[in-house]
Amino acid sequence: MFPYGEASWSVVDGAMFMGWGGALPGMATFIAAVICVAVLVIGQRSETEKAKKFDK
Amino acid sequence: MFHFVQRRRPHTTAYICPLATGERNVEEQIAELTAQIAALQGSSATTNRMFAETFYYLTIPLMIIIHAGFLAYEMGSSRLKNVLSSGVKNLLAFAFMIPTFYFFGWWIYWGFPTGLTFSEGPAGISGAAYASSIALGWGDAAQYMGPNIADQASGVFFGAFALFAATTASIMSGAVIERIQTVGFIILAVVLGSFAWVVAAAWGWHADGWLVTKFGVHDFGAAGLVHAVAGFFALGVLINLGPRIGKFNADGSANHIPGHNMPLTVVGLMLIIVGFWGFLMACVIVPGEAWSWFGDKASTIYGTPITLSSLSFNILMAVAGGIIGAWLFTRDPFWMMSGALAGIISTASGLDIYFPALAFIIAFSAGIILKPCADWLERRGIDDAVGAVTVHGTIGLYGVVMLGIWGSGFPALQGAAGDVPTINFMGQIVGAVVFFLLGFVPGYVVSYILKMFGMLRIRKGAELAGMDLVKVPAAGYPEWGADAPVTPAE
Repeated sequence: MFPYGEASWSVVDGAMFMGWGGALPGMATFIAAVICVAVLVIGQRSETEKAKKFDK
Repeated sequence: MFHFVQRRRPHTTAYICPLATGERNVEEQIAELTAQIAALQGSSATTNRMFAETFYYLTIPLMIIIHAGFLAYEMGSSRLKNVLSSGVKNLLAFAFMIPTFYFFGWWIYWGFPTGLTFSEGPAGISGAAYASSIALGWGDAAQYMGPNIADQASGVFFGAFALFAATTASIMSGAVIERIQTVGFIILAVVLGSFAWVVAAAWGWHADGWLVTKFGVHDFGAAGLVHAVAGFFALGVLINLGPRIGKFNADGSANHIPGHNMPLTVVGLMLIIVGFWGFLMACVIVPGEAWSWFGDKASTIYGTPITLSSLSFNILMAVAGGIIGAWLFTRDPFWMMSGALAGIISTASGLDIYFPALAFIIAFSAGIILKPCADWLERRGIDDAVGAVTVHGTIGLYGVVMLGIWGSGFPALQGAAGDVPTINFMGQIVGAVVFFLLGFVPGYVVSYILKMFGMLRIRKGAELAGMDLVKVPAAGYPEWGADAPVTPAE
């Protein structure tokens, strides 16, 4: 996962996070966005069901 | 013989070639001094870079105090049956704002300044291509959106702007308490915090922003582009959301619905004031960096000069003026602390250039008009539970316009844009209208769509029962309710 050819900090001159230069950042960003949307969908369903119980 | 040689050699050398020796000494000294200067410059640059990074880093926790304040303020303004759901809503607004601002809000700030052309502006730090090179969480741009040993600015700038975004969401949050659905509210918060205000900031709070370069709009402390946008976004939502049950009588007269804890509300408002020192500090561009306007002095985001001393003078005088103005006719601590906020907001556009006594007078006037403006809105059937539309929306626009009256003739921008208009009354009016529309239109349209899909307002039965029962598996004050726990000894 080290984004440089040699496993040494002395060669690092820029980005120093896992997956730099590969597909990981984009995939992680996409998954994080999907999580946010999914949580909203689940939250909406559960809150609506709960609220209906208070209808008279 | 040995001693002779040892004694003679230095003398002989110096005697035979004094110039050569002198030149070498001078050259060596110059080289040594050059190395020392380079080392000092390097050390100075490192210190300045660390200072700049720390400066913005510290604005972030200071601005989180704003959210602690909004949390206390909203929960205190809620009735007992809604206290925790108001808190949950506020926490979620913050939590969703950060990732969505990361996903697309930051890109909008850099991509939108020149308007819908998405082209590069005069300063060369805007447009779709530029934004895509620095503000996306994938591809080459990702190097500026994560840990980078050569970039000590992007993260702290992102953090400060994300907290501005979260502030807008909190402003809207207070207005809609006690009857909004959680997810509908979060969607509105994201539209406001990661889109609407960001467009306003790109247009009016960026060296390439068209409101700045074309009209000379100046809004140093974001009275219009944060407060007014958020306040009028809230108004658009409130129109579709409707008032709380019991707020208005059949004849249209309004009932006062007091929150359950006024002291908590007032302390929350004071915390917001504390946090605003961080908010306004983050509006300053420090000197000496590659991205700074100047090597030797701080500037506003427009490249015009400012000092932290200016802010200290004017913020303090504005807070005082707002409190005093609100006290004069209300005598109510809620409105007095709202007056403090109004004092800052009414002067925020020109905190960099107001004379402190003038800032006091403007803030005092804002404190006076605050309550009548809120009452006017209430008479029109708008149930703004905490006065957010007035404090942030109306007073925000008041502040933008005030600068047009008092600050006319001051250069609005200093930098690559070349000749730009000075601050002027009509320019500030144009800015105020644009900020109003950027808030109100998205707020109204998106809340209308949410209403169509049944995602805006909580069901009537749940509202009457209390939203904590529906949304939160905990009690704010369990010992006050019928289900109060008893100790084993009892």
